[in-house]
Amino acid sequence: MSRYEEIDHTADWAFRAYGSTLPELFENAAYALFALEGALDARSTLTRELHVQGIDREALLVNWLNELLFLQETKRETYQKFHITKFSDTALDATIHGASAQPTTKLIKAVTFHDLKIEQTPNGWQATIVVDV
Amino acid sequence: MITKHDLERVSEFVWQVPREYRADMRVPARLYADDELLDDALQDKSIEQLINTTTLPGIVKYALAMPDIHQGYGAPVGGVFATHTNDGVISPGAVGYDINCGVRVLAAQISAEEIRPYLRDLATELYRNCPSGVGVTGSVNLSYDDLDDILNRGADWALERGYALAEDLPHTEEYGRIPYADAAQVSHKAKERGIDQLGTLGAGNHFIEVDRITAIYHEDAARVLDLFENQVVVQIHCGSRGLGHQVCQDYVDRFQRVAQEYNIVLPDRELVAAPYQSPEGKAYAAAMGAAANFAFANRQVLAFHIRRSFASVLKGRLKNLALHQVYDIAHNMAKVEDHDVSGVTQRVLVHRKGATRAFGPNSPVLPDDLKEIGQPVLIPGSMGTMSFILVGTAGSMAQTFGSSCHGAGRVWSRHKAKKEVRGDRLRAEMEERGIAVRAGSMSGLAEEAPQAYKDVSRVVQVVDAAGIGKMVARLEPLAVIKG
Repeated sequence: MSRYEEIDHTADWAFRAYGSTLPELFENAAYALFALEGALDARSTLTRELHVQGIDREALLVNWLNELLFLQETKRETYQKFHITKFSDTALDATIHGASAQPTTKLIKAVTFHDLKIEQTPNGWQATIVVDV
Repeated sequence: MITKHDLERVSEFVWQVPREYRADMRVPARLYADDELLDDALQDKSIEQLINTTTLPGIVKYALAMPDIHQGYGAPVGGVFATHTNDGVISPGAVGYDINCGVRVLAAQISAEEIRPYLRDLATELYRNCPSGVGVTGSVNLSYDDLDDILNRGADWALERGYALAEDLPHTEEYGRIPYADAAQVSHKAKERGIDQLGTLGAGNHFIEVDRITAIYHEDAARVLDLFENQVVVQIHCGSRGLGHQVCQDYVDRFQRVAQEYNIVLPDRELVAAPYQSPEGKAYAAAMGAAANFAFANRQVLAFHIRRSFASVLKGRLKNLALHQVYDIAHNMAKVEDHDVSGVTQRVLVHRKGATRAFGPNSPVLPDDLKEIGQPVLIPGSMGTMSFILVGTAGSMAQTFGSSCHGAGRVWSRHKAKKEVRGDRLRAEMEERGIAVRAGSMSGLAEEAPQAYKDVSRVVQVVDAAGIGKMVARLEPLAVIKG
């Protein structure tokens, strides 16, 4: 199963992420974010531990991805590997691996709730995510 | 999916979705468009999103779409609606992520012919002095106390620090300072994002453009604004950067829970809202005001860099290097304003996302020198084509809560634009037409290709014909600077 694919959306950017489990879906959505930005080539040299909350699964996904973008912008890092260590519908813990001062070709400014659907599929899960660039 | 048959034609350029179309609509929805722009609008979810805004509690009269409407998050881009301040809601999604994304126009006393020999140097200097692109920091070193001051006082801070001329402020919407802004309502995360971004352009569809006025349509307004044919003017298009985005995200997240508590039922989670008269509603209004002040200060600092660039490149070569500020407008904002609703003046919260305030002549909030002609409305076109300056009218006050369009509106996704257009070829084509281009990213350039946008002159002509804005001048590019 591929981890994600880019899809068409008039105003900004959109992609669909896949996972055989919900944590894997969340990891692949994060991976997709940095893949689209052109940030995956970097060699990971640092690690961060994250704790994120949301009122439900969709809010949790949005908050997880937005937290990564916040860290990217303020710490000037990009992230290449994502490992969710604890997961519920309203909270997650994760370890992420990244690199500092890596230029990206594109900056994603925010992840939105627009058309956001986390759906079950025969292979597991998928989510369509629209981002503001 | 809505079709043309579901719409009533109210007049030549005004279409209406009646309240009966959907059970949850509180008011009708109106769209300003000619037949072709209407067909464009029917291609994506814009009208559906417009209809969703009519479900918001406290909405008055009708929800409106400008001719440049396209799909957004929650509310469409090009959408305008007003809610009662006493029992209506405020919605961050109906303002947009880039709070106070807006446009500033400066005008020179120089003609295009005079500047032509120095255009390339000027473009290079502007590109150097106005930081743009991904991950780039600004030139202004701020402490967190400075940042709070900027969030609270906007253009007043900029004036004090020497980034503005005193006469810039009356020619800025709100005089460049939202009075109810409160830095305390802005999260530390948002401040962390904004602390080193003051005086930066950003990327995406933000730009600085050196333009030439190629047509004057309204002699009186042009005289008042000191605009003339072949004049060199400069446009700045940018907003509140990462700080504004974080404020929007913070409150969209916070309001998810709040909407439930106030029993606000939403057709779209991005349209999340809270009562304006609630602690959360007031907190967002204050945070939005603070982010707006950051954007006003940002455009002011960029204006300072632009004036500096003109001085350094043209000193000793051309005589009068002064750049006066024509106006500065916001096109992603919610404002408390008094408007006529069914013959009674009511205080309402006007939400404009991808739409511009366009107050008519004699509006009390305008400075004396502009009362005669109405508020200037600055409409940036798609890259490399043309832009327009308009003024607000009595018609916009009567019909659209004093609002007008904001630009061209996208028709192609960025994905499609990158497939169809090569950035380097686009740059070469513009350079061939005599436009100096300084851009940080070729794929970014491709995404902004003019084919990806509606025809801005068409949008503006509909606005003018419908009486919600009056054309004053047309601008065409001499140099484009973007990230």
